[in-house]
Amino acid sequence: MAEQRVSAGEAVAAAPDGVASDDGTTASASGEPAVIRILDLHKYFGSLEVLKGVTLEVARGEVVVILGSSGSGKSTLLRCVNFLEKPTSGEIWFEDTLITDPKTDINEVRKHVGMVFQSFNLFPHLSATDNVVLAQRKVLKRSRQEAERIALAQLEKVGLSDRAEYMPAQLSGGQQQRVAIARALAMDPHVMLFDEATSALDPELVRGVLDVMRSLAQGGMTMIVVTHEMGFAREVADRVLFMDGGVIVEQGPPQQVLDNPQHERTRDFLGLIA
Amino acid sequence: MRDYTVIRALRTALAFVMVLSLFVFLSASPPAFGLTLAKTTAKPNEPDGNAILGGQPTRVTWEATVGADEQVTSITLEFPAGCALGEDANSKATVLEDTTRLSYDFEQEISATSTTVDFAEPVESGLFIRIEVYNLALPTVAGDYYINATYLNANGERIEVAGPQAISVKGTTGTQQIIDWLDGQPWVEAWNSALFLKIFFSPQLIVAAIPNLFIGWLRSLGLVLVGFPLAIPIGLAISFLRMARLGILRLVSSIYVNVIRGTPLFLQMYIAFFGLPLLGVRVDSYLLGILVLAMNSSAYLAEIFRAGIQSIHKGQFEASASLGMNAFQTMFSVIIPQTVRRVIPTATSEFILLYKDTSLLAAVGVMEQMMFAKSMVASTGNMTPYVVAACYYLLVTLPLTRIISSFEKKLAASEGQSSQPPAPKKKRGLPWYTRPAPLVAVDAEASSAITADEQSSGR
Repeated sequence: MAEQRVSAGEAVAAAPDGVASDDGTTASASGEPAVIRILDLHKYFGSLEVLKGVTLEVARGEVVVILGSSGSGKSTLLRCVNFLEKPTSGEIWFEDTLITDPKTDINEVRKHVGMVFQSFNLFPHLSATDNVVLAQRKVLKRSRQEAERIALAQLEKVGLSDRAEYMPAQLSGGQQQRVAIARALAMDPHVMLFDEATSALDPELVRGVLDVMRSLAQGGMTMIVVTHEMGFAREVADRVLFMDGGVIVEQGPPQQVLDNPQHERTRDFLGLIA
Repeated sequence: MRDYTVIRALRTALAFVMVLSLFVFLSASPPAFGLTLAKTTAKPNEPDGNAILGGQPTRVTWEATVGADEQVTSITLEFPAGCALGEDANSKATVLEDTTRLSYDFEQEISATSTTVDFAEPVESGLFIRIEVYNLALPTVAGDYYINATYLNANGERIEVAGPQAISVKGTTGTQQIIDWLDGQPWVEAWNSALFLKIFFSPQLIVAAIPNLFIGWLRSLGLVLVGFPLAIPIGLAISFLRMARLGILRLVSSIYVNVIRGTPLFLQMYIAFFGLPLLGVRVDSYLLGILVLAMNSSAYLAEIFRAGIQSIHKGQFEASASLGMNAFQTMFSVIIPQTVRRVIPTATSEFILLYKDTSLLAAVGVMEQMMFAKSMVASTGNMTPYVVAACYYLLVTLPLTRIISSFEKKLAASEGQSSQPPAPKKKRGLPWYTRPAPLVAVDAEASSAITADEQSSGR
């Protein structure tokens, strides 16, 4: 599996050069098993239908970026994947587990699905290290020493080894978000969900977080990223999805969707962003 | 003529023998026959007690019965070493025949070592003599002290009274020594000459009340220090029920909270203390007091905890859930530690309220601060013990109030620094504990708001 990840990472790393324009399709076509499979997902908030039948498959090592205006359902879709939102109907599979089955222990699934929030959601009463340690100890039952070792390694990975003992309130937004990423990574997730991870950050802090996400993608992590960062989408994504009105309007390799959108709504959206 | 001479000689001899035998009889007679000691006592002079304190005036009573064929002209009582005379110390003798008081004139003399009562006429045999020594201060060192007595009979012989009895003296306390010292100070006299100062701030009573009420203070603290920690888990459990998904749990817990918060604690005490005995349930009153306080406080704490938990950012629940933590782990590792920080100021106010409310238990006979003060006031007719009791309450409440305000400032500073944007308000499929209870709307923002609310609602 490590080997597969490395190869996927290389493929992704090659993507910005424009050599492999159809990487996303290659990845799934090359027989990589799907990590996430979503079938005809519907979600209502009261009488408001937010997701109107979404079907999506994310292969191992794939980086999927979801674009769309606010209210398009992209965040809801992401939150359905780890059941922070309960879908109204449809199926969601995580590897071989049917998440939407009421008998499924959702916490077993969540162990393997990392999530990064727009508002960081660090535990304010715990230091950076302890933020990363807590779930390792409680959920994975790792020993304190092991959890701390992993925590420090992950903090180093996100460039915060010198802030390990800081409290969240003492960190900048960008640093907090990187701690949150380290916290999710410490659980050895099979897939990482990023819900507008940079939207709450001051512009000068966005870059540090994107750098971390980029290197994560290059390391072969399967990622579903909801973002407004077009540059990131263009550079890192294997596949870009455009959502509007609760459905996936258009999807494909970044160059195709971003530079040559087929759908009018995609064009309008990209026009607004540009 | 000769006969007469013989008879005269015989009479003289007989008289001589009789006088001789009388003399022998008298000189050899045991003292018990002369004066029989009935009792030696001293009047208890401990405030609210029945011990005899040394070092401060008391009345010593000495009683004896005059034996057959004896007359008493004078009695001397020897005081143990270390005695002192109070103001106007004197001795008084009373002579009784059965219960009838006879008038015998006497003169008395008193010093720190002895007192002597001289009767104008000898006290006849069979009579009962009582000598009362007023304002004699027994030794300050604790111990059993004997008062040795001697008397003079009609013949001018000094005879010792057998079998002296002990008076048990409790050593005088440091407090009492201070009070005695205060009694003699001119400035204290001047102070007490102002009625207001004397009634509310009598120096002697302040000194007397401090150690006396200290025990009451400890008992009140005991009530609240056991009752309040007991209320915390009950309150926490009820706060969970208040947020439960199941309607019946919410209903039951909300009835509990609203009934307890909506009725006076005083009434609840009366119901518990007078209702339970009618049901045949006998509970130690101190324990019952703790239970009533804990139940009452748990209702208030439940609301404080609920507001605290609901003020925690939704993202905390989501982050915990996304890491695979279950409801229990989330509650105890993430939510409650943060809630604790937020509710400490409010919960401390609740502690202060509860501590003050322990005084209500005086009305149902629980020995606590108020009760101690009340009994001292009753025996002295002075308000000073209440003032001292007030100081004892303040000793706890003032520092706590200060701690609360400094903690609130710290909290405001630390929470102000963290830059969490408000969560979008959407209805989400989250676990039961994140859902706001339907009955009361709570401002998701601020613990300071809860504090203000709780404090203003009061009792």
